[in-house]
Amino acid sequence: MKKRYRRNFDQIQVIVEDTGRFFSEQGITDSLRMKVDLSIEELFVNMVTYNTETESDILIEMNALDGGIEVSLTDFDVERFDPTLAGDVDINAPLSDRTPGGLGLYLVLKMADSIHYEYDERKSKITFTNRVVGD
Amino acid sequence: MFEIGFNETGAVAVKGRLDAAQAETAQEFLDDVADACILDLAALEYISSAGLGVLLRTHKRLMGGQSGLELVNVNKHIADIFRYSGFDKLFIIKTA
Repeated sequence: MKKRYRRNFDQIQVIVEDTGRFFSEQGITDSLRMKVDLSIEELFVNMVTYNTETESDILIEMNALDGGIEVSLTDFDVERFDPTLAGDVDINAPLSDRTPGGLGLYLVLKMADSIHYEYDERKSKITFTNRVVGD
Repeated sequence: MFEIGFNETGAVAVKGRLDAAQAETAQEFLDDVADACILDLAALEYISSAGLGVLLRTHKRLMGGQSGLELVNVNKHIADIFRYSGFDKLFIIKTA
């Protein structure tokens, strides 16, 4: 699956529907859906929110793997931002010290089985995989 | 689809997907809650960091008045997200 999405949060629902269709067509277990949906949303929202210098659509690609899925999100004509280098979140901090910031990318890094970043000619691409535990 | 509102027991029932597109709706509703509150998450299918942020902001505001949010009927997938986020240390969470 390869499709471009407008830079708007209203596209999240469209992405969820497309992801569900891809899972069904490829016979990928629904046990991965929550992790995959969450990682796609967090990375998409991060691009929309912070890569404000471009109006290009965001490209999402999905490939079925043996026992899982590989997903890439590509943003065009943007500065380098490597989500794999995002700062850690102290999940043991007391409530008074907790803020929502940074939690999205933290969760992506926590839940992906692998994650890889590429930047070339102002093209920013992040690829992650999720596989069924035990495969 | 996302819905939030009071149920017949007086708890706030959250239904559907609480994502970045719905976070503002949820926050506006919870901003009007002034006292300790039970959130019934039995019908919550999905939550992202945007939704977690709504819960965290509301909980911190209410805890300032010595109350807070209690999260009940949490399914396994949502409970996993809460655990990854450290929310299990911040909230009273009751699984389904």
